[in-house]
Amino acid sequence: MREENSHLPPPQVKDTLFCLSSLNYRYPGGIQALSGINLEIASGERLALVGQNGSGKTTLIKQLCGLLLPADGAVRFKGEPLQGDHLDRSRLKIGLLFQDPDDQLFGHTLIDDVVFGPSNQGLSREPARQAGLLALERVHLADKAYKAPHHLSYGQKKRAALAGLLAMQPDVLLLDEPTTNLDPGQEQVFLDLLLDFTGTLVCISHDLLFLYELCQRAVVMEKGRIAHDYTMNDLVAQRSQLRAYGLDFSFRLEPATNGTDDGPSVCARQNSAPSTSPMTPPMIALGNYAFRYPDGTRALTGVDLSIATGERIALVGENGAGKSTLLACLLGLQQGRGTYLFEGQPVTRRLRRHLWRNIGMVFQDSGDQLVCPSVGEEVAFGLKQLGVSKNEIRRRMEEALSLVRLEGFEARVPLHMSGGERKRLALACVLAMSPKLLILDEPSAGLDPQGEELLLSIIAELDVTLLLVSHDMFFVNALSRRTVVMHQGAICQDLSTEAFFRDPGLGNLNGLAYTFRQRCGEAIRVLQHEHAHSHFHRHLHDHPHEHAWVAHDHLHKHNHAHRHHFLHTHPGEDEPHEHATRRYHDHYHHDGDHGAHDHDHFVPDDPSMTGESGESDSKPDNKK
Amino acid sequence: MPLKVPLDRRMADPTLIQMPLWQLLVMVITPLAVLGAGVTLLRWLIRKRSAEKDDPDWSVPQLEGTAGRSPFHRWDVRCKIVTILVYSFMITAIQQITPAFVAIGLSCLVLVVARASLAKVLMRLLAIVGFITMFLLVMPFTVPLHSGDTVIVFGGLNWLHFSMRGFWLAATIAAKAVAITLLMEPLLATAPLPVTLQGLSRLGVPDMAGQMVLLSYRYLNVFRHEARRMSTGMQVRGFRKRSNVATVQTMANFLGMLFVRSFERTERVFDAMRARGYKGHFPDQAELRLRPVDLVGAGLWLIIGVALLVYDRML
Repeated sequence: MREENSHLPPPQVKDTLFCLSSLNYRYPGGIQALSGINLEIASGERLALVGQNGSGKTTLIKQLCGLLLPADGAVRFKGEPLQGDHLDRSRLKIGLLFQDPDDQLFGHTLIDDVVFGPSNQGLSREPARQAGLLALERVHLADKAYKAPHHLSYGQKKRAALAGLLAMQPDVLLLDEPTTNLDPGQEQVFLDLLLDFTGTLVCISHDLLFLYELCQRAVVMEKGRIAHDYTMNDLVAQRSQLRAYGLDFSFRLEPATNGTDDGPSVCARQNSAPSTSPMTPPMIALGNYAFRYPDGTRALTGVDLSIATGERIALVGENGAGKSTLLACLLGLQQGRGTYLFEGQPVTRRLRRHLWRNIGMVFQDSGDQLVCPSVGEEVAFGLKQLGVSKNEIRRRMEEALSLVRLEGFEARVPLHMSGGERKRLALACVLAMSPKLLILDEPSAGLDPQGEELLLSIIAELDVTLLLVSHDMFFVNALSRRTVVMHQGAICQDLSTEAFFRDPGLGNLNGLAYTFRQRCGEAIRVLQHEHAHSHFHRHLHDHPHEHAWVAHDHLHKHNHAHRHHFLHTHPGEDEPHEHATRRYHDHYHHDGDHGAHDHDHFVPDDPSMTGESGESDSKPDNKK
Repeated sequence: MPLKVPLDRRMADPTLIQMPLWQLLVMVITPLAVLGAGVTLLRWLIRKRSAEKDDPDWSVPQLEGTAGRSPFHRWDVRCKIVTILVYSFMITAIQQITPAFVAIGLSCLVLVVARASLAKVLMRLLAIVGFITMFLLVMPFTVPLHSGDTVIVFGGLNWLHFSMRGFWLAATIAAKAVAITLLMEPLLATAPLPVTLQGLSRLGVPDMAGQMVLLSYRYLNVFRHEARRMSTGMQVRGFRKRSNVATVQTMANFLGMLFVRSFERTERVFDAMRARGYKGHFPDQAELRLRPVDLVGAGLWLIIGVALLVYDRML
């Protein structure tokens, strides 16, 4: 088991690897993507690049690997500007992992793809093949070496793309959203692979828990500029800063309340209880339902599922468990064998064609759902199919856009909107049609924390029967009362969400265990815990004193301890303070030097460092 | 009993056979029904074979792993391409039905020698069924009449005549198409596609064309899946194709969006290639070596082709 981030040894920082100075970049369309970037990345560092969608992160890593060239300023790699022959040589030592593995796997088979890089490095056929096979072995795909990429699962593709880079033995890995759309099991495998990488690592992700486990340094980007450069611990500890940059994921760390007390505002449990009257038929009833694809693949076997009106259900399971096929059957896109009743009526061929009027679905990739040139047309698309009048279309459009906080976006082009806005637009398109059952497929995928929090609050407010398909256990916990676990095409558990989270065995069975997330979450919660605290420290300050009968004032450094008061994080109320690390914080100084700065702290229980009182007076006041 | 009747002005000397009108339906519907049944059977066979097939061991090369089993797998890819292409042109030069059927027989023999997958061969045949059917249905009714032709006229409809010469001509074309299609599996499936493209490149086909084929082959599936997901996205919001302007507009939006997404993906793929050191060409997949036995094989095959042509001309 791995140690958590804060216990990791500091990176083997050697010399400066990347040096970016006064870097500016403007896209041909005129959009200023980067402005005045000054950044140094040392060899062996693990750096997280965070910021909201559109803040310039991807543009920056494209600069780092020379795919884009700076308009002004310079990018230096190993001391030389990244251009010309040096750029050609450097590209072979800088690996860039794209968000979508299909962009990267262009080979006919995995081995063809993995060998591509080493061959370009000048290796002859057999050594290149050996390097490729070794890399595939590292990512646990040696048994798929001669398989075509389009026959792999998403997680396997992601690892294969990484193998293509590892085969080149890069000095640097640049990762763009490496864990998006991975199930927890695959995510853990991927994380282990990255932790094993010994070179320099620059990672873009909205998943700060993942970054906390992986990286030591965090650079925050905002509107094309570097807003802050922290240690990872300092970034996650300062909730106010996180919120200022739209990165506050702390809502994920708050405990769920199961509807018993005043829990997080996003909790869905205030919604009306499902109608469970024995007289009312369930909205959806599947009995011994099975589906087999034309090629013979058995996707669903003996599925029994009942969804009552008003229920909020989560459907979880590893990639390939049959969730998508089940959704396709519920939507009437596929027809299997067995009983399927909708509101008590058997779903015949005719009813199947009309299920779309009652069941709405928000896709994982909103791009699959948005085909119109404007937001207004997009929302009206489904309503026109319903045959709604123009006035009604306008009314429902305004209502739906207001619900998802997109008022005034009617004329905007969906293609030019951010990921979070597009996701909310897709939701608005479905909500405008007033579905009886709303299906959400991985709603949090690819969203930044601010977008996630907003989406979560919107969904929590909806009064609709909900079927949530997600690997995101926080969303599952926050939005559902009941959890259905699928495994190999069958429902293996159907239990309350509370019971699901109490049973760690279920998570392990389905590759849904979130061990590192729980560990990181707890660690970050501790870091974010703040309380008023007085202790001693020493620093330069101005005070009157005497030198050989002459009394005067000047800046003076001496072994002198005095009290001051500031808010800081604490490892736990009953545990001793640990101030061994240097931390940036804001506090009052006698010399009037305000602002965030760091300085050595005394270890409070060290008698040599205590003053008159001999101990620090910790006063927790639960300022969370 | 067919009756011989006086000839039409346009039909110089053809022999005319009169038949009742209902036999026209029999003559059109029966072949179509047989063809439909055949296609269904072929599809069932293909599906059954695909379903029964266990997942192979992907840790070993699928084609090179069977290299010891067939001379086609061992044959130098350049020699194989040139020989099969030249032989295919010889088949197209055949004019008589009998040599065309002999060519089919030879192609079947080649399939056996190459140990080609029956399911894949049937899939290739399915792909040309429409083409062949069109010939068989249209040509007998449309070929210009020559003296000595035998023509069937149904129920006194002189404008609708079924030419036996047209029928045999269509059958010859169909047989030649089948004979050539059967050779595509030994040509394309006895070496990995990148190696075949490397062979083409060595034969003078521009390198860029080979790379485009390779990337198209890889990304066709990706684009197809994207199109399917987008289509599903429209279906679940109630879109059904109808004969109206709204459908045309929606389909135009759909195609436009698919194009934009595909274009963006090609840019990202190119970026990914450049980031891994791509500078205009893909690394060679295999070391191509031309052995004397490859040339002997090519020579023998071409001699068979010439013999087939001589036989055709002698008939």
